[in-house]
Amino acid sequence: MQIKARHVILALLIIIPSIVNLSVPLYNRSGPDLYGLPFFYWFQTVWLVVCSVFYLIFSQLVNRRVR
Amino acid sequence: MIGIEIIIPFVSLFLIFIFLGFYGKNWRKGDLNNVHEWALAGRNLGTTLVFFLIGADLYTAYTFVAVPSGIFAKGPLYFFAVPYVGLTFAVALVTMPKLWTICREKGYITASDFVKDRFNSLTLSVLIAVTGIVAELPYIALQIVGMQAVLTVMLAGTSNAQTVEEIALLIAFVILAAFTYTSGLRGATLTAVFKDILIWITVIAVIVIVPLNIGDFGHVFKEAKPSYVTLSDSLVPAYLTLIFGSAFALYLYPHAVNGVLSAESARKLRTSTALLPLYGVGLAIMALMGVLVYSVPSAMNFLSGFPESSRGILVVPSLILNTMPGWLAGVALLGIFVGGLVPAAIMAIAQANLLTRNIIKEIKPDMSPRSEIRITKISSAAFKFVALGFVFVVPATYSISLQLLGGILIVQILPAVFFGLYVKSLRKQPVIVGLIVGIFSGIYMIEAANNFGPPTSSLLSSTFGPLYIAVIALALNLAISFVGSAIINRTKISVKKS
Repeated sequence: MQIKARHVILALLIIIPSIVNLSVPLYNRSGPDLYGLPFFYWFQTVWLVVCSVFYLIFSQLVNRRVR
Repeated sequence: MIGIEIIIPFVSLFLIFIFLGFYGKNWRKGDLNNVHEWALAGRNLGTTLVFFLIGADLYTAYTFVAVPSGIFAKGPLYFFAVPYVGLTFAVALVTMPKLWTICREKGYITASDFVKDRFNSLTLSVLIAVTGIVAELPYIALQIVGMQAVLTVMLAGTSNAQTVEEIALLIAFVILAAFTYTSGLRGATLTAVFKDILIWITVIAVIVIVPLNIGDFGHVFKEAKPSYVTLSDSLVPAYLTLIFGSAFALYLYPHAVNGVLSAESARKLRTSTALLPLYGVGLAIMALMGVLVYSVPSAMNFLSGFPESSRGILVVPSLILNTMPGWLAGVALLGIFVGGLVPAAIMAIAQANLLTRNIIKEIKPDMSPRSEIRITKISSAAFKFVALGFVFVVPATYSISLQLLGGILIVQILPAVFFGLYVKSLRKQPVIVGLIVGIFSGIYMIEAANNFGPPTSSLLSSTFGPLYIAVIALALNLAISFVGSAIINRTKISVKKS
């Protein structure tokens, strides 16, 4: 099977958010804080919203091609 | 002792809940003597309903009780639940639409149905059904612990609290069993939407009201719990493996597969899956309550009236009771109560499908559709009471680790189900051996990690630091499945050549 740019984009839309989710040292820090909430807590929470954006783009791209 | 202003909204909303459960029978009418109508709601739930149903599957007593409790007692390690939610939907987007499509084409209702055909192996399919049924039990038990926590907080200070609590739980379960019997997944879906509305009211109320009682979050972390600011470096391996293991386990649970298969189309399934991480924001906020409670003196004071080991599970209900106006506390407490009840119903439906289709039907293949549906309905009721008995016997303190125990078992079916979808070269014999080795090594490691005592920890110390046992056992399982299949395939090729 030929690997097309489309497949690479689809793969990245899944891989990028997942790598961030698993990069614990990246977000295991205290600052900058948000209203006193350490970075560790607010970053992971905000990242959920970012994940959803990535996944929505992924699903809409797939849905356009497949039934 | 709580006032009438809490009891009235709690009881009246519970009556609406019961009504919806039974009304489900007439909603989107279908022949409920048909298994796929009863168990998959006729496979025609759209984006929103799948979102709510799977949301109800995922955001359960685990969210409201287990995660805040873990953070309250052990600190930021238990915040792993947040990235786990982020990762699990990536796993789902890659695997579930494909599973949905195959199951729709072939008329499968469970993951075991798929495995039986894919590997042409009855043994493997039965093993997977048994694993699913067993792994689901501790998860249901956790839901009951969450419901218990609500009742404990509400009954605090009354005489005979223990007896009243047990009777109340039993009544709730008889009602649940009755409406699941008559309405199947339709009843569960309607109540799931109701539950989710209450839960979002609760989450929003908590976001608004709890900070008002605290002022600045920084205060909590600076004064009450400075050790909770970040994860200690020694726990990073544990955090990482807990995210990984839980994310891959979630969509292997029978109730998650059941929710997926009830979707109307693969497209709608994709869209609702992509949106589900948003639901995790509520989970993250609930998780934070495990720390923030330290700055709410009224709640801490209330909690000090309970034995130290059971304070964790009471964190969220106590915060609600001590910071919210009475009527809102009643609404929120009911939200958490049915937040355990609805998932318990969906889980028992999924267990019953596995038992009937993939175990009993294999022994008695000439079973009529009529008796198939009857056995499914009866066993779904029976499983709920098995889990209830489990909770009355096992002390609640240990129940928190129950979900992680279930995860160790269920993740062992990953090679057969997820890789079975994509990797054609996998063979049944090594997958069976891998599954058995994974399960028994997992159980052994749990025993060893807890010095053969009650299972309170699911982490094993290794040279890399503490690791979630599910991931170690899965690594063994995957190695056996893939190496074994490679050896078999190579021998077959060389036999053909000679």
